[in-house]
Amino acid sequence: MSKPFGHMGWRHSLWWLALIALGLIMVAPLIWTLMLSLKSNSELLRSTTNAFHLPYTLENYAAILKSSGVFRWLFNSVLVAGLTTIGVLTLSSLAGYGFARLEFPFRDVLFVVVLFGLAIPEQAVIITRHQMFAGLGLHNSYPGLILPGLAAPFGVFLMTQYFKAIPKELDEAAMLDNASRLKVFWKVLLPLTLPAQATLGIFTFLAAWNDYWWPLISATRPEMFTLTVGIASSQINFAQTSGLGYLMTQAVFASVPILIVYVFFQKYIVRAVAGQAVR
Amino acid sequence: MNRVSAIDIRNVTKAYGPTLVLDDISLKAEANEFIAFLGPSGCGKSTLLRMIAGLETLDAGEIHIGGRRIDEREPGARGVAMVFQHYALYPHMTIRDNMGFGLKNIRMNKAEIDRRVAEAARILEIEPFLDKKPGQLSGGQKQRVAIGRAIVKNPDIFLFDEPLSNLDAALRMRTRLELAQLRRRLNATMILVTHDQVEAMTLADRIVVMHDKKIQQVGAPMDIYARPANRFVASFVGSPPMNFLPVSVSEGANGAVATLGDGSKVTTRVKGLTDSASWELGLRPEHVRVSDQGLAAKVEFVERLGERTLVYARLGDGTALTAEDEGLSRVKMGDTIYLKVDGDAAHLFDADGKGYHTPEVG
Ligand SMILES: Nc1ncnc2c1ncn2[C@@H]1O[C@H](COP(=O)(O)OP(=O)(O)O)[C@@H](O)[C@H]1O
Ligand SMILES: [Mg+2]
Repeated sequence: MSKPFGHMGWRHSLWWLALIALGLIMVAPLIWTLMLSLKSNSELLRSTTNAFHLPYTLENYAAILKSSGVFRWLFNSVLVAGLTTIGVLTLSSLAGYGFARLEFPFRDVLFVVVLFGLAIPEQAVIITRHQMFAGLGLHNSYPGLILPGLAAPFGVFLMTQYFKAIPKELDEAAMLDNASRLKVFWKVLLPLTLPAQATLGIFTFLAAWNDYWWPLISATRPEMFTLTVGIASSQINFAQTSGLGYLMTQAVFASVPILIVYVFFQKYIVRAVAGQAVR
Repeated sequence: MNRVSAIDIRNVTKAYGPTLVLDDISLKAEANEFIAFLGPSGCGKSTLLRMIAGLETLDAGEIHIGGRRIDEREPGARGVAMVFQHYALYPHMTIRDNMGFGLKNIRMNKAEIDRRVAEAARILEIEPFLDKKPGQLSGGQKQRVAIGRAIVKNPDIFLFDEPLSNLDAALRMRTRLELAQLRRRLNATMILVTHDQVEAMTLADRIVVMHDKKIQQVGAPMDIYARPANRFVASFVGSPPMNFLPVSVSEGANGAVATLGDGSKVTTRVKGLTDSASWELGLRPEHVRVSDQGLAAKVEFVERLGERTLVYARLGDGTALTAEDEGLSRVKMGDTIYLKVDGDAAHLFDADGKGYHTPEVG
């Protein structure tokens, strides 16, 4: 674009100002969190408005290293979100390939059933699920935390559409190239779905990471808490009048992995959110 | 002698659901022959080719390659290689890997794969692209890679599905020539599917004209052109298409005499006509020349092609006719002209569309 900077100039400037303001509003709580985590709890007891000036301290970080369950919860969250993501990607890819490429009885009916899954909110099934998992003795276990997340109709839908968009000529060329069905899937088609895998993987990971409700219900023992549940459980008193800095430090810890994910997958996340990964 | 055919298609039938696509097709090709399947879009050319490749099942019939029945074998085990219309290169692999993929899958040793890829790349002049991805190549270059991927397999039979249809006119002509040269070099049986008669005429040893679920005619290009088996072949092959004029027919000294709607007569050398209720006279435009005597016609449209001029005219009784004149024609729209018909080159078609021609000499 090489528009002359006539009356477009000030309009652009206004846009910029508005965006910068919005950006500031969005990062403000995060910065505030970081600042609070660097203050001593006793000081915060008196006032929380002093977060933006000296003195700062690392005592909360030291305390966490000694006492908090946050590392265990971090581990749990990484494990649960990680395995959920791997599981969803595997199942969605296989199911998507099946729906897109194989002929089997009731395929289209089955696909519609999967799509119905999109329309059923978690709230509608959570009590039954709780009963079922209780019956199976799966509460307070990793399978108990992971399994519900593996039912991912959106993933199946996305991958089905994606596989369908890949020309069948590629499968055929590979068949003439002596590739087995598995090889066609693994060596030819799957690599072409990487953009969709990235999108689905990121969404799945974030959703699993941020999930609060199911782990709150299923994990009742602190050592099985995920970060979200664990940090919430640390809010011990009304309005968090004491131990605020400690709580904020846990929150900072909790954000680090997700920050890392963002840094590494920024490109894909932007594309995913902008809906460009799905052609 | 009982020579084994390179390809022997026996009574093959194919339907998609209730729609019959190929009805009892039989065809043989000899080793090193170049065969073109020619026909309008949707006539089943690709389906037949894909059955040979093993990408479609047969409803009935058998296909043999080199004397062995292959129609129940896996596509990779038939000794065929195919070049797809849209190239079907693997987008995420380098050109080198695209060409080597099939060889790797049969566990050929790496040195031999490298040797074959290098050789094919040299022949096709795609060496500079070997480490690029297909997305970085032009249409013509992709086309070469697709051919290269077939060559490295050293197949008994090459199958091409409309390989030139995605190229622009200039490139298509060049690639056509290269395909003809490649063919001399490879010494393999080739089958080309095309709806473009020029491709079929220029490349093939024999053309298989297909239409309406059936093979209409099999023959050498000039044979198909000069002696079309039926009205469909006559109309499909040749551009601009043959003229068809309703006529009545009577016996003459050297052959049938056709009487046109306006009463004028064309003396042909066509012999051996059967009884038929109605006849059509088939005249290619190059056998209807603008002259100073002959059939009177009114010019409706003139196309100047440079080396020749096409004249679209109408006879006195309203029959439309395409004629030819020399490049520097003076004929204008609205003129009344005279057309000289070369009766020796005329064809007759009976009520069923069967073609009758001047007997072959010798
Ligand atoms: N997979 C399929 N399912 C249903 N109909 C098909 C399929 N493939 C081809 N056809 C139909 O079969 C006919 C022949 O197709 P095709 O062999 O591709 O024609 P051509 O290559 O001569 O243009 C067409 O009418 C086409 O619509
Ligand atoms: Mg076709």
